[in-house]
Amino acid sequence: MIFRAVEDTDLIRQASRGSVESYNLLVSRWEKRVYNYLLRVTGNREDALDLAQDVFLKAYQNLRKLDDPGRFAPWLYRIAHNEAYSLFRKRKPEVDAENVEPEATDTGIAVGGTSVFPIELSLAVASALERLSPDQREAVVLKIYQGFKFEEMADILSCPVSTVKSRLYSALQLLKAELAPISPRGVS
Amino acid sequence: MSCSPFDLRDYYLKELTDPQQRQMEAHIKDCPACREELDQLRLTQAALFSLRDEEIPQRIAFVSDPVFQPSRARRWWTAFWGSSGRLGFASAAMLSAALLFSALTRTASPAPVAGLSSAEIDRRIQQAVYSSEARQTAKTTQLVHDLAQRADSEHNLRLVAEDEARFAKEQQFAMEKSMGAVTNPASN
Repeated sequence: MIFRAVEDTDLIRQASRGSVESYNLLVSRWEKRVYNYLLRVTGNREDALDLAQDVFLKAYQNLRKLDDPGRFAPWLYRIAHNEAYSLFRKRKPEVDAENVEPEATDTGIAVGGTSVFPIELSLAVASALERLSPDQREAVVLKIYQGFKFEEMADILSCPVSTVKSRLYSALQLLKAELAPISPRGVS
Repeated sequence: MSCSPFDLRDYYLKELTDPQQRQMEAHIKDCPACREELDQLRLTQAALFSLRDEEIPQRIAFVSDPVFQPSRARRWWTAFWGSSGRLGFASAAMLSAALLFSALTRTASPAPVAGLSSAEIDRRIQQAVYSSEARQTAKTTQLVHDLAQRADSEHNLRLVAEDEARFAKEQQFAMEKSMGAVTNPASN
């Protein structure tokens, strides 16, 4: 574990009292994770960057509403989730946001330049993720890539834990079927 | 999966309590089907991890502009307490306000005593001043007199001392002279 001289909770308290420096430090700690979450949810780098900026702006403006600084991460991701789905609704207002498919993406192509895995596996994973429903994909991103607990995911997604588990396990089932034929090549 | 006491996926994702985790570990040791299922989950997760996080293409440039700060009142309050100059100015302003308030609300000086005209008051004040001056003059005269007396007595003492010294000297001279005549008669 990396020792941090100043904990996130301290930075949050200072930032909520108006310390811009503290908030900038907090942003620097979280921006990559939030950006990658948004990238995998939206499948578009430009959107992900724009949304990340909006997320941190909204978080700053509402920081005093965060009662428990220890719950900063789920709170921040909930803002990110809402921003992403707000974008989906703007783009395709006639379609229910729950059923919106992300745009075509090259997420996997630029990744893996330094990866120890074969590029084909990265492409296959990106492709398999794209075939999931947005809800399933988001559940995978939050659990596998971001490491949230089920209860935190339920907070972020505003749904019961049972729904979270259902989405995640159906997604893992599909991914297992998609990736099983090729994953042994890339994974020892 | 139905053979395990808890959901194997919950176990794999570390969502069980510690006792439940231990119970599952014991079960998995003796259950080849669960071990195989667990391997599938591991392979799927490993394949997903082939998709690495991307670096954010542009650091989030954030909140050097005060407009992003929580609220105008909050910004003012923070800036106020952060500036010693403003704090000093505020202290001076408060002191001035207190003096002004005191001046405005202080009760008026007491009215002249009934029955005394202002001429009579002036006369009495003059009288008091004269008597005070007279006391001071008398005291000063007494002091000067005492000092002069003291100087005279010191002078007299000094004269007496000088006379005594001169007389003692003459006595001694006379004695030496008479003794010289006795012990050395041939010297004449």
